[in-house]
Amino acid sequence: MTISRRQILGGAGFLAAAAALNGCAGFSGGGGNGGGGGDGGDGGQNTLTFTTWGSPAEEEGFRRGIDAFKAANSGVDVQLNLVPYEQIFTNIDAQLQAGTAPDLFRVDYGTIGAYSSQDQLLDLSSYVDTAAAEEFLPAMWQAVQYDGKPYGVPHQTDTSALVYRTDLFEQAGITNVPDSLASAWTWDEFRQVAEQLRGSIPGDLYPFVYNWQLGGSTRWLSWLFQAGGRLFDEDLTGSAIESDAGRKALEFTQGFFTDGLVPPSSSVKSSTYADDAFSAGTTAMAFVGNFVLPGLDENITDFEWSATYLPRDERGACDLGGNALVATKNARNPELAAEFLKFMTRPDQMSDFCARAMELPTLNSLVGTELDYQTRPDIAGIFVEQATTLEPSDVEQLTSPAMATINPKLRDELEAAFTQGRPVEETLANIAAAVDEAAG
Amino acid sequence: MSADTSAREESTGEAADEGGDPPAFPARTYTAGAGRAPARQRSTCAAAGFLGPNLILLGVFLFLPLGWALLISFQESNGFGASGWVGLANYQRLVTDPTFWQSALNTAVFTVITVPLSLALGLGLAVLMNSVLPGRRIFRTLVYLPMVISGIATALMGVLLFDEVTGILNKLLREGGLATIPWQSQGTAAFASIILVTLWIRVGFNMVIYLAGLQSISPELYEAARLEGASSWQQFRYLTVPLVGPSTFFLLIMNVIYSFQVFDTIFVMTGGGPGRSTSVLVTYAYENGFVTRDQSYAAAIGIVIFLITLIFTAVQWKGNRSRDDVG
Repeated sequence: MTISRRQILGGAGFLAAAAALNGCAGFSGGGGNGGGGGDGGDGGQNTLTFTTWGSPAEEEGFRRGIDAFKAANSGVDVQLNLVPYEQIFTNIDAQLQAGTAPDLFRVDYGTIGAYSSQDQLLDLSSYVDTAAAEEFLPAMWQAVQYDGKPYGVPHQTDTSALVYRTDLFEQAGITNVPDSLASAWTWDEFRQVAEQLRGSIPGDLYPFVYNWQLGGSTRWLSWLFQAGGRLFDEDLTGSAIESDAGRKALEFTQGFFTDGLVPPSSSVKSSTYADDAFSAGTTAMAFVGNFVLPGLDENITDFEWSATYLPRDERGACDLGGNALVATKNARNPELAAEFLKFMTRPDQMSDFCARAMELPTLNSLVGTELDYQTRPDIAGIFVEQATTLEPSDVEQLTSPAMATINPKLRDELEAAFTQGRPVEETLANIAAAVDEAAG
Repeated sequence: MSADTSAREESTGEAADEGGDPPAFPARTYTAGAGRAPARQRSTCAAAGFLGPNLILLGVFLFLPLGWALLISFQESNGFGASGWVGLANYQRLVTDPTFWQSALNTAVFTVITVPLSLALGLGLAVLMNSVLPGRRIFRTLVYLPMVISGIATALMGVLLFDEVTGILNKLLREGGLATIPWQSQGTAAFASIILVTLWIRVGFNMVIYLAGLQSISPELYEAARLEGASSWQQFRYLTVPLVGPSTFFLLIMNVIYSFQVFDTIFVMTGGGPGRSTSVLVTYAYENGFVTRDQSYAAAIGIVIFLITLIFTAVQWKGNRSRDDVG
């Protein structure tokens, strides 16, 4: 085989350039949905493109909502583009830059600030009146605001609670499982339960797993809030994590790893979700979001499981899960886009979607009512109640636009504390520096 | 695959000529017809016709984005496009960024381990497959298979094998009463799992190139060596290894570049963790570009990767000028 120098150099040059591009221009196509509806003329004006991710149950919920919207508005079309959660924001960012973004997309409350603060979303002030705004839970309406203006509608929320294997609890002799929010385990009690399990289950199983992997590192903040701490100071311009509460929360959670209470591979950078580890039968308990209940119900066949409330310390607290629906600033038909957003958050639509996908509503009118949950209605109420432990001051911090920049740093620091033994003080100081830099 | 690769090489090779290199082989061909203008024009047209499509493709999909990345690296980014010139600020930040250096070191270690190992394994397998091994067609296909599958899919298979809690390897170790290996929670083990999966993916390509090299060696040389009393090892060491030299040179450069580009395997298997122990330059660039939304800084990292690879290739090229005479 004869290969000339020039061929080698040429081939190498090609690959070298590709290597560089890999790092800086690796936009993956978004399926061309942005331009997909741009068929010109009136048809284009009456077509909305909507990009989202979703579990099968959520997809079904979205399709039903879209069908109902089309039935109520003749001549209107909504093109649904489903993408995996892992790629959606990479795609959306690239499309926004290229001017081919969809008219509508779904975004979590922690990420919405990254878009609203950069003037990428449609300001809904002129489309949503005060009365309509007051129909939403105040904390959730707060979550879609930036600079006093709404940039989306809170479509659903979700939060975490603790699921457990009844067989392993029985085996360990744990009978005092809390059955109300008021009787939720304190941190000490939770720790005792975990240690009791550690003593009774085989070495290759673990007492519990926490759901802070794969973009979930902000769920660590639930511990901080439970300890009575804050990430930001009162006016959200600097850090407040270097406190007794911060130290306590980090020491407590670092202990999960040093004392073998969680799988060593379940830290914030793990590529395995907590609910997958629980489904696989490798842990006795798992902190999971309500949205994974349909998946757990389907995948777990060889043991019984139930749920209880999150542990509490100074107070109860939980994470702010769930998503808003937003329209992009350059949506072709802003009126129609706003109309769709309002339609999807009507009580009938929201209750159907939430009941189907095991999610929690964001409308005052639905919070008190029992939704017709289609999976494990026996434990759905636990998540609904748990969500009430979220306070407006938590929401304010969790939805700060600075969180988008803080998140990766928080993840790095927690990873170092959990798996590399970085000291508590140093970790807190680093997180504080990241918060100060991003918020200041 | 190999046909496709050689087609690309050829086109880029010609493209390099266009860039103002001293007149090379094709130019000499044309001067043979000097004096007859229409003929020269015809050949120029023909050359342009052949080069044009490739140059357009390369220009649009390679050089334009590359130049653009260079521009972005001198700007500030707000996540939705560049917002102002900052000169060399992104590069200055690189110099003082410990994570960048850690990622650069990891990339270098990864390259130093994977390249020689995958070359040696590829050559070993090629020699084996070139012999009278029963069922060698099946083995060749099996060894090459991971190369054909998408990188993400092979990395997901890596997760199935190496997951610390639910992976096949640790389950086997547990069944056998042995201690399990902390594939995700301990840096060295995580690094080893990435290297093993990379080797699995890569040896197939190396094997095929070496196989082509081996098949062009005349059997008479081995016959002569045997008559001279050379042992199997001596035949391998003094005949096979030097005679596949051009293939080794080609593979060395390709493998170094592949190693510098490694992304999907690490992104899927460890996400750069635990800590930063498997973070490499491309995963770090991705993280900056698409998680932190600082595309300018990510572009600066990309340019650094480009320059390192380019320098390595140029050094190799200079040091191996004699290679053309061997092939």
